[in-house]
Amino acid sequence: MKPRIVIGSVVVIAFIIFGSYSFMESNVEYTDIAGAMTKHKKVQLKGSWNKDKQSSFDARSSQFTFWLVDDAGRECRVVLDGAAPNNFELATSVVAKGRFTEEGYFHATEVLTKCPSKYEAQPSELKKTS
Amino acid sequence: MIGGILVKAAFAACLVSVISYFQYHRRGKQVLLTTGRLAYFFTVAAVFATAGYFLSLILTHQFQYTYVWSYSSRELSTPLLVSTFYAGQEGSFMLWTMYTSLIGIFLVLHSRSKGYEPEVMTFFGLIELALLLMLIVKNPFLYVWESWPGQVASGFVPVNGRGLNPLLQNYWMVIHPQVLFSGFSSMGVPYAYAMAALLKKDYKNWIRPATPWLVLGATILGTGIMMGGFWAYETLGWGGYWGWDPVENSSLVPWLFCVASIHTTLSQRKTGGFARTNLVLAIMCFIMVLYSTFLTRSGVLGETSVHSFVDPGMWAYWLLIGMMVTFTSLSAVLLWIRRKEIPRPAVRQSLYTREMALFIGSTTLVACALLITAGTSSPIITEILHGTKSAVDTSYYVATILPLGILIGLLAGVGQLLWWNRASRADFWKTLRTPALLAAGATLVLVFFSVREPLVALFVFAAAFSLFANVQVGLKIARGNPKFAGGSVAHIGLAIMFLGFVASSKYDRKETLALTQGKPVHSMGYTLTYTGYRAIDKERYAFEVNVESGKQRYTVAPIMYYTSYNDGLMRNPDIANLYTKDFYLAPLSLEQKNDSAAVQNVELKRGETKMIGKLRITFVEFDFPVMQKAAMLEGKEVRIGARLLVREGSGKEQPVTPAKIINAGEQRDEAVRIGDSYEITIAGMHPDREAKENSRVEIAVKDIQAGAHEGSSEGDVLMAEASEKPFINLVWSGVIIVVVGFLVTIVRRGQEARLTAGAAAAAEGE
Repeated sequence: MKPRIVIGSVVVIAFIIFGSYSFMESNVEYTDIAGAMTKHKKVQLKGSWNKDKQSSFDARSSQFTFWLVDDAGRECRVVLDGAAPNNFELATSVVAKGRFTEEGYFHATEVLTKCPSKYEAQPSELKKTS
Repeated sequence: MIGGILVKAAFAACLVSVISYFQYHRRGKQVLLTTGRLAYFFTVAAVFATAGYFLSLILTHQFQYTYVWSYSSRELSTPLLVSTFYAGQEGSFMLWTMYTSLIGIFLVLHSRSKGYEPEVMTFFGLIELALLLMLIVKNPFLYVWESWPGQVASGFVPVNGRGLNPLLQNYWMVIHPQVLFSGFSSMGVPYAYAMAALLKKDYKNWIRPATPWLVLGATILGTGIMMGGFWAYETLGWGGYWGWDPVENSSLVPWLFCVASIHTTLSQRKTGGFARTNLVLAIMCFIMVLYSTFLTRSGVLGETSVHSFVDPGMWAYWLLIGMMVTFTSLSAVLLWIRRKEIPRPAVRQSLYTREMALFIGSTTLVACALLITAGTSSPIITEILHGTKSAVDTSYYVATILPLGILIGLLAGVGQLLWWNRASRADFWKTLRTPALLAAGATLVLVFFSVREPLVALFVFAAAFSLFANVQVGLKIARGNPKFAGGSVAHIGLAIMFLGFVASSKYDRKETLALTQGKPVHSMGYTLTYTGYRAIDKERYAFEVNVESGKQRYTVAPIMYYTSYNDGLMRNPDIANLYTKDFYLAPLSLEQKNDSAAVQNVELKRGETKMIGKLRITFVEFDFPVMQKAAMLEGKEVRIGARLLVREGSGKEQPVTPAKIINAGEQRDEAVRIGDSYEITIAGMHPDREAKENSRVEIAVKDIQAGAHEGSSEGDVLMAEASEKPFINLVWSGVIIVVVGFLVTIVRRGQEARLTAGAAAAAEGE
């Protein structure tokens, strides 16, 4: 074996390990509210925005608060660092990244809106425009 | 009907073309070559006829077609109306098919003179064939009653379409997808050339005609990717130009493979090595386009993507998989069959040669591509491992790509220096000295000011080193023959982009602000004053904010509006470009003071009288003449009024008729003023056709003076996010320089391919 090949292989293998480690580390599990409450680590909470309940932005703390309903129908308050994400109102569903706090709300560092590049057309809309 | 027939005719012609070209390769009968060529030209004609027909349906508002109804409307401007052509899945596949067919014409002419036509066109035709098959499966010419059988009456023509997503209503929608899809189309050419090389057992000469196409593909796709970034930054308000989103990643990966193969083909020219690597890389350019298409179009990413990808249906899903499997296995089989024939010259490679730098550089680019692919495929990988889909955090990409970026920066500099001074070990270190010292100096200055993280500092050093090395080499080359400086120019652009990445994303600042109208707010060294809003057009409002920074004054006017398309608020940021940085203002909301408090809603039955404030209002009847009913049935503008009798205080009773105007599903109000202080609009109508006396109207009474009074004491508050992006212009100018470098290279490699065409033709004759 040439030393160069050995060095090359070591570099490649080291990098694969590093890559896989980063991959696993940054993979944030999807869960619902019940799941998020039991796990004490960063998760992605999936659900939709409950538009009936008050959502507000607090300019002093720079935090946006809204209520999220998960697929199981459970509800919780989500406090996001920062303002409401763009296109928040359009989102068909939202994903909040963060963790549950002891105060009983979900503290999100990021909220992704599933913001359709394409809205699925429904035949009912067809009738509306006629 | 016509559309479907045209697509099928194109498919049939393309099939004939592929078979004829392939048979010509095997038997060499002239008639087969002519048939292949003519059939291909017929395919292109049929594809363009299909696209033209499709466009005419859009332009003439044929809403009985589901696609036209789904994405366009009568209100759109002509350029945007044209852009709805590719606003959906089916149409974007048609755009891709169209560009592929168009590139094919140039490829026929180009490969013909190089002696590669039958083989190249066999494989390129196969790509076109697969795309046409997709158009047959995902038919863009479906009628609404075919899309929803049983739910919509046959022959039904909607009055208006649903319209284009307001997010996409921007001039970038006209340009960006076109560039991106022609980039995807051009990635098919290296694939076709590599496969042709395998078929012809010509492992050496193919890279000469293929190189200009590789560089062209990299140029177009790269431009398309960065246009998307600019669009996201400038109008969509995503806050940045790159978000490691699957859509962005999936166009970056083929580009990385393309650029890697540009580098290794350089090496093959000189030493004859990397013959197999080049074949694989050129094939991967296209395979990755297919894989990306599968990832982003099939719905496999599910909830994990920011964009929502509608499940294209079972047939399209399996066709996407089928395309991937077919093209991959075809090339894998051909590579396997030829594996022993592909020459492997014993190239003695010292560590101090350009070839070594090129090799490590390409490997690094491929490593980036694979890591990004792994990250993007995370939902699939995690589903296999854990059974649930989950995406990787963007930190994954930063963590893994940053060290590779450092390596790329260093190699981009070292490679060029080595190329210029084919040197011994001693010379090598000597040439390195000047750029390395300059870069170290620059990095130290930056570390002194702001850079704190060691990896970021290294990245800055690598980029600066690459910049100085390439400027040094580039100047020397340009003195000789400027056409050879393409590589240096592209690397200079890359280095500038790298520096721009660090400055704009690592050192940006952000603050959320509440801007009360007329009251200056201090933030990040700027003084901001919200002065008020004005209507730009029927729907949109610009919110003007004065920005003062030192002695300079700017006005930014981000846009915010409510859209009935999806009952949502649309926001577009505005940017003040201050040369060394961008000041970026993204609107969040407008808190209007006491607007709702001054409005009172009341419901009245026919003949009923109620008191609202000082007003005594009686509802007489609805004003809806027979003529209006006819207009409504025809889908024209309709005006429905509510006749009221109103008395203010002890004044005279007066008849008024506020109304709602309904046009193509949209409503607007015709308000009525009572004196100086009240405004009446219709909030809701509940006519009862059987018993007219039960008809009810809901009216909204607005106390204008109350609103004005409160408003003057405490103005509206504009919530906005202000941010500062230092040196973001470096990113854009870097991109432009890279593109210029690529263009110079295309010219040079194109000329070279022409010169060596004679040699290739001779090889063909053997």
